[in-house]
Amino acid sequence: MGGRKQGQTSDAIAEFFAELGRRGHEPLLENASGSARFDVADGKRTERWLLTIDKGDLSVSRKNAAADCVVRVGRAAFERAVKGKFNLMAAALRGEFTIGGDPRLLVLLQRLFPRPSRRRRRPSGKTP
Amino acid sequence: MSDGLVKILDGNTFVVSDARGDIEASPTDPTGLFSYDTRFLSEWVLTINGDRMNPLSVDDLQYFESRFFLVPGTGTVYIDAKLSVIRRRAVGNGFHEELTILNHADEPVDLTVRVDAGCDFADLFEVKDALKKKGTYSARVKGGRLVLAYDRETFGRSTAISSSQPARVDKKGLTFKIRIGPHDKWSTGLDVVTERLGVEEAELEDPAKSRRRMQRGLERWVNEAPRLECDWEPLRETYRRSLVDLAALRFSPRIAGGHSLPAAGLPWFMTMFGRDSILTSLQALPFASELAATTLRALGDWQGVGLDDFRDEDPGRILHEMRYGELTAFEERPHSPYYGSADATPLFVVLLDEYERWTGDRGLVRELEIEARAALNWIDEYADLQDTGYIWYERRNKKSGLENQCWKDSWDSISFRDGRIPGFPRATCELQGYAYDAKLRAARLARLVWKDAPFAERLEQEAADLKRRFNRDFWVEDGEYFALALDPDGVQVDALTSNNGHLLWSGIVDKSKAKAVAGHLVGSRLFSGWGVRTLAEGEGRYNPIGYHVGTVWPFDNSFVAWGLRRYGFKDEAAVVAAGILDAAEFFEGRLPEAFGGYERSQTMYPVQYPTACSPQAWSTGAPLLFLRTMLGLEPHGDNLMVDAALPSTIGHLELLDIPGRWGRIDAFGRGRIDVEQRRR
Repeated sequence: MGGRKQGQTSDAIAEFFAELGRRGHEPLLENASGSARFDVADGKRTERWLLTIDKGDLSVSRKNAAADCVVRVGRAAFERAVKGKFNLMAAALRGEFTIGGDPRLLVLLQRLFPRPSRRRRRPSGKTP
Repeated sequence: MSDGLVKILDGNTFVVSDARGDIEASPTDPTGLFSYDTRFLSEWVLTINGDRMNPLSVDDLQYFESRFFLVPGTGTVYIDAKLSVIRRRAVGNGFHEELTILNHADEPVDLTVRVDAGCDFADLFEVKDALKKKGTYSARVKGGRLVLAYDRETFGRSTAISSSQPARVDKKGLTFKIRIGPHDKWSTGLDVVTERLGVEEAELEDPAKSRRRMQRGLERWVNEAPRLECDWEPLRETYRRSLVDLAALRFSPRIAGGHSLPAAGLPWFMTMFGRDSILTSLQALPFASELAATTLRALGDWQGVGLDDFRDEDPGRILHEMRYGELTAFEERPHSPYYGSADATPLFVVLLDEYERWTGDRGLVRELEIEARAALNWIDEYADLQDTGYIWYERRNKKSGLENQCWKDSWDSISFRDGRIPGFPRATCELQGYAYDAKLRAARLARLVWKDAPFAERLEQEAADLKRRFNRDFWVEDGEYFALALDPDGVQVDALTSNNGHLLWSGIVDKSKAKAVAGHLVGSRLFSGWGVRTLAEGEGRYNPIGYHVGTVWPFDNSFVAWGLRRYGFKDEAAVVAAGILDAAEFFEGRLPEAFGGYERSQTMYPVQYPTACSPQAWSTGAPLLFLRTMLGLEPHGDNLMVDAALPSTIGHLELLDIPGRWGRIDAFGRGRIDVEQRRR
């Protein structure tokens, strides 16, 4: 997970997907294949991002095509998600987005999102 | 859970009512209709002409269905025998109730039938801790349905109530004005449907269809399990009860593709638990290996990938507990999921290997290679908080995280002989055993499936090194057993506990020390006559009804017996098995989570721990593991070895059609070990 830049541009969502496209391969998803479409609603407009995974190989497009898993989410909420500001599971339980199709894929896709908080690994920092 | 309550369940939806079928939940008690950790119905009261019902009897038809026979009447004195009432209720997307009223009189009767309904939409955590709600309630009548709802920002949960017969529906329930002819009957269906569950929108299923599906599922489950023949009737009953309860505790989150894994237990824990699901899957492997496959996949999918202090998440860590209620949704609790468990991660690897040994399913081992390697990496990189080569735990979420991240997770479970409680981080002994076992088992998988011999050699070297250090650092010389833990300064937390049995199971114990350890496990300080106590009599915090400081846990004992067997202590394993199986008879075959550590000769019957969950998955799985242990079932290549060592009380025992990589094999044994004499 480490070393990834988070989008600080005006469009964090576009930057998030662009980065996934550049990454091209994610070892943590080598067992995953399938497609997920994110329908991001912003007022009356809906932006669609189609993420396809083939044994860890990632590709991103803006096609409005059928997908194994469809996530419908508001723009503000999804911006927070791609910045690692919220936990996807908790957000789903709150009803901040809805999931259609195969939810297992989305469970795996959580591995692509930045984590909400980080800290040094040793709470007591003690060495023997 | 107090007695007299009727519970039916399907997956993580369950209904708890009184013997009349009524629900009148107080904020703190676990009655009602629950689904995904939320109460969807807290009031459900039937009256006829203003009178409450009197219960005559309840039939528990199946775990998902019950039938209440009632008569209307006020109090216990007057009972109007001219009417009888039957409520037949089954779980599924909420529940479906068939209400039937029979008129036994020669004249027609005019009745006002009323069902009061209401809901507090409590999160199960709130029920446990009596917390206050932050959102708003509403009730509306729409298209003949009563819809009760709770909303807080984008979070919403609702319950829709409807009937098949015409009713006057108001915001507090349904009223039927009916006339029933002489010797005639009237009936209506009542549907209580849970809506807006959150992530997992259930597809609506016709109640009759749903009941048939559950019935078929249960029959298939029981038919596919090995058949048990035995001279000793109570064991047959315990075995059947275990199979049915395990079926009931299966839970099929949609994220697991409709396959099922064991939830932990009713009523608090109908959800995904790392430790409980893994240990139950291990217990059930010889009987139903698909539980292990689903558990491994689901836990693998949710494996931690980053550092998150609120959830105590690390890369590679296997989750502790998943919750779906309001407090989790608003991150007032960290269970989305919470990762604060120090044993689930090594046990994940242990289960993967044991699963392959039984089933020969190398496909899954290949599929989970990344996750297994990440789990092994967690042991060395993230769990060794003191850089001493051990697994340590200390929560980073100081507010709502778990202090003790081992199976004995209550606050006072880890103590010195004199009762003092050590600081953090703590390295409990069984965690090191699991880590040792995980490394050796992973080495086998690395050679066999992942084709990575250097990795296997490294793991074996690490395991050997760990074993050597462990036997030096944890061995309590003057007591001849292993310390419960090391404290932050590396000092032995020296109480004598049942954890020693888990160490035998993992194989980390030096052969030269095993005899002394086995002696303690069946000795008078740990063994009560019914089972091995969590904490030995005579220790500072020993209390025969203390949750993890003196009670006897059937699940714990099943692993203790497995450990004894692993080191060749067949008779001792049989003594432990016989004690717990004797106890099961007092609970009609359904072992509770825990019972009192009182001396057997003192109480003559096992005293149930007051708030124990029942049924509980790993207690349900305990008799299965005892059967495996007593019969000495052990996969050996493509064969199943059988080496029975049974208590004489059991007599003749046959376990037929044991499934595995060998196809199906039968195992036979005859009880020859005089456990009565051994107990003395």
